[in-house]
Amino acid sequence: MKKLIAGAILLGASSMAFAQPGCGVGAMVWKGQSGIAPHVLAATTNGIFGNQTFGMTTGTLGCQTNESVQSMAMYMDSNIDKVARDMSRGSGENLETLAVLLGVDEADRGEFSRLLQDNFASVFPNADTTSDQAVDAIVTLLEKNERLSKYVA
Amino acid sequence: MPPRTLPGLTFGLLLTAATGTIASTPTPDKLAELAASDAWLTLGHYHPDTLGSGHTSQADDASFFLAEDGDSDPRAELQATIDAITAPVTGDPNDHARCQFPARDAWIRSHLELPQPAVNCTDFNDWKGDLNTRAVTMVFAASYLNSPSSMFGHTFLRLDPPKEDGETNLLLANTISYAADAAEHDSEILFAYRGIVGGYPGITSVRPYYEMVKVYSDIENRDLWEYELNLTQDEVDQMLAHTWEIRNRNFDYYFFDENCAYRLLALIDVARPGTQLLDEVSTHAIPSDTIRWIVDRNLVADVTYRPSSATKVEHALESLDSHERQLSAAIANGYVQVDDAEVQSLSESSKANVLDATYDYVRHQTQAEDWPRDFAAPLSHNLLVARSQLDDQPSIGPPERPEVRDDQGHDTMRVGVGAGYTGARHYTELSLRPAYHDLLDPPAGYRPGAQLQFLRLDTRLYSDHQEVQVERLVGVGIRSLTPRDAFFTPLSWQVSFGGRRSEMPDGDRIFTPYLEGGAGGTWRLGSGLRALAIVTGDLEISKHMRRGYDIAPGVDLSLLHQGDQISLMTGVRSKAWIVSDQHREDRLYLEGSWHLGRDYSVKASLERKHHYDRYETLWQLGFRAYF
Repeated sequence: MKKLIAGAILLGASSMAFAQPGCGVGAMVWKGQSGIAPHVLAATTNGIFGNQTFGMTTGTLGCQTNESVQSMAMYMDSNIDKVARDMSRGSGENLETLAVLLGVDEADRGEFSRLLQDNFASVFPNADTTSDQAVDAIVTLLEKNERLSKYVA
Repeated sequence: MPPRTLPGLTFGLLLTAATGTIASTPTPDKLAELAASDAWLTLGHYHPDTLGSGHTSQADDASFFLAEDGDSDPRAELQATIDAITAPVTGDPNDHARCQFPARDAWIRSHLELPQPAVNCTDFNDWKGDLNTRAVTMVFAASYLNSPSSMFGHTFLRLDPPKEDGETNLLLANTISYAADAAEHDSEILFAYRGIVGGYPGITSVRPYYEMVKVYSDIENRDLWEYELNLTQDEVDQMLAHTWEIRNRNFDYYFFDENCAYRLLALIDVARPGTQLLDEVSTHAIPSDTIRWIVDRNLVADVTYRPSSATKVEHALESLDSHERQLSAAIANGYVQVDDAEVQSLSESSKANVLDATYDYVRHQTQAEDWPRDFAAPLSHNLLVARSQLDDQPSIGPPERPEVRDDQGHDTMRVGVGAGYTGARHYTELSLRPAYHDLLDPPAGYRPGAQLQFLRLDTRLYSDHQEVQVERLVGVGIRSLTPRDAFFTPLSWQVSFGGRRSEMPDGDRIFTPYLEGGAGGTWRLGSGLRALAIVTGDLEISKHMRRGYDIAPGVDLSLLHQGDQISLMTGVRSKAWIVSDQHREDRLYLEGSWHLGRDYSVKASLERKHHYDRYETLWQLGFRAYF
């Protein structure tokens, strides 16, 4: 199941305009207006998503070797503001999604949420934190946690 | 681990076993019967020709057909498909017709017993395995008034994985959209023009749901409604197989009929033969109407509401008390710091609510109003660090689901009959409006303060000389009246063009093309009452005017109440015509609608007008029905 999810999320990867999440690049948190002009977005209503179709390549994701962590990096890259928000609250759909991508069992999800909430300031040390720095910090936190280290092994 | 999908022949066999009408070889009669069946015509996207008795496919792509004249000959295409799916496999099995057209293969084999060349469709099976779909949900993105091309809403399909355990996560599910492949640099006007005449190729695409949520819910601030369809696994499989057939194939995109909603209806028709949703489409397929059709055909198992981030922010701010709201506005604007005593002295739960609502508001404003990053990012960081120190404080719950869904609002086509008096003559009036909603229509299921009219035509029969006159033709009429408050300061705006009767100095009423627009503000006055002040500009063109045209700056001040039983609007409109014939035009008006459910309204209006130094009292009373 985990593998399937990773596959599904990587399927969406090629449509993102960044190079290799999980590789020390990543999006800056709270980067402000996304740079897409509103009228262009309006066109998406009836949709301009055309070119990303089925035969997507997943690309080569070099740096993070763990597939779950790669998926998490990918997800955080495009949803970093919402992930940070849910993490500070210790609950929410985006935090759930991280847990699913890492394959965290339901029994361990409370511990997972608590750990990330308690250590929010170390995951996001300042307002210029990038998603990849946050991913690295999360991996480090999990590795040090007895119950959760197995999910990033 | 869910079972990997078996090759396409599996469900072909399953369907074969389930039906009793199996012919061993296709006799010419049987072939003709199958070629004329709704299911085959749906699979080939064939539609009856306007002239003659033939059929033509809507696919604009030669690779979609196996027969040379397959796009206009369903029977030849069926024969060619039968030949191809029974042909021996040579070369790459993924190029074999059984792999290229798995939905046709399954359907044909459910009616005919044919030789089964063994073929391993690895590409299709991998794709289907990745999609891992148990249920299909039609997602409706509610209308978004600030962009004309989105006003009818938008629909796409979400492919839901089996609900087996805690690993099911719908944000990670995939979605299928049918969209115009417009070049990104095309302007909105060019986009609209080419969309109408068919200048864009339409493309079927797959994206993860979280990206759609980001675009519609976070950036465009549109609420999402999720309608889970009650398709069986076989029906879901057939839909996916057909999606595979039409992926990367071109179907030209047309805004009004062959649009995003239309192609999805075709997928549902393929999944459940006999549904014939496309039969509902006449001149246009408005996404909210297509939702009505799937609800009417009992295709919906469950409905879920996903509020947009703007809806959530508004809800979070509304759930604060007045002191908390003030504090939140002060933090967001930088007057109070997150670690100031005023914030620290709040109770834990109150602090959590203020921090949550303020963060959501700051993010929303950064997105919608371009707040500068060097202000918003450090503030966002401070808010979240402070919030992360509050353990076990639940966040503010989600907004309640609206009682009336968008698809449960009044139907969009309106017919009105009425009688009235112009101050000089009596008349009866017939009013037709194909779409969509005005401020005095039943408001349930529509955005408050939003109006969008297309091709409204009012025709009058004057009783004195039995004279018929076109009174008004509204090409497009839009009003967006969103209230301003301490947190949000949207501009109210309106624009309309078409033709209307305009009174000349000699008293004649001449039909003139017009263009009018306006901008201003709207404010809440207590519950259910809004006040608006709009600065307007009018342009009329007529050879009866001294200079051939006239321009009028003006103001419009009014009060608006939109209720489930009664909607009322009253105010003054004043214009000064300044080019051809300098004079004032002032109106004091009261208009009201009494809503009889969501299908009918009684509409009345009363107006006192001052124009060319004449005073007149006008009235009208009528009945409106929605279809």
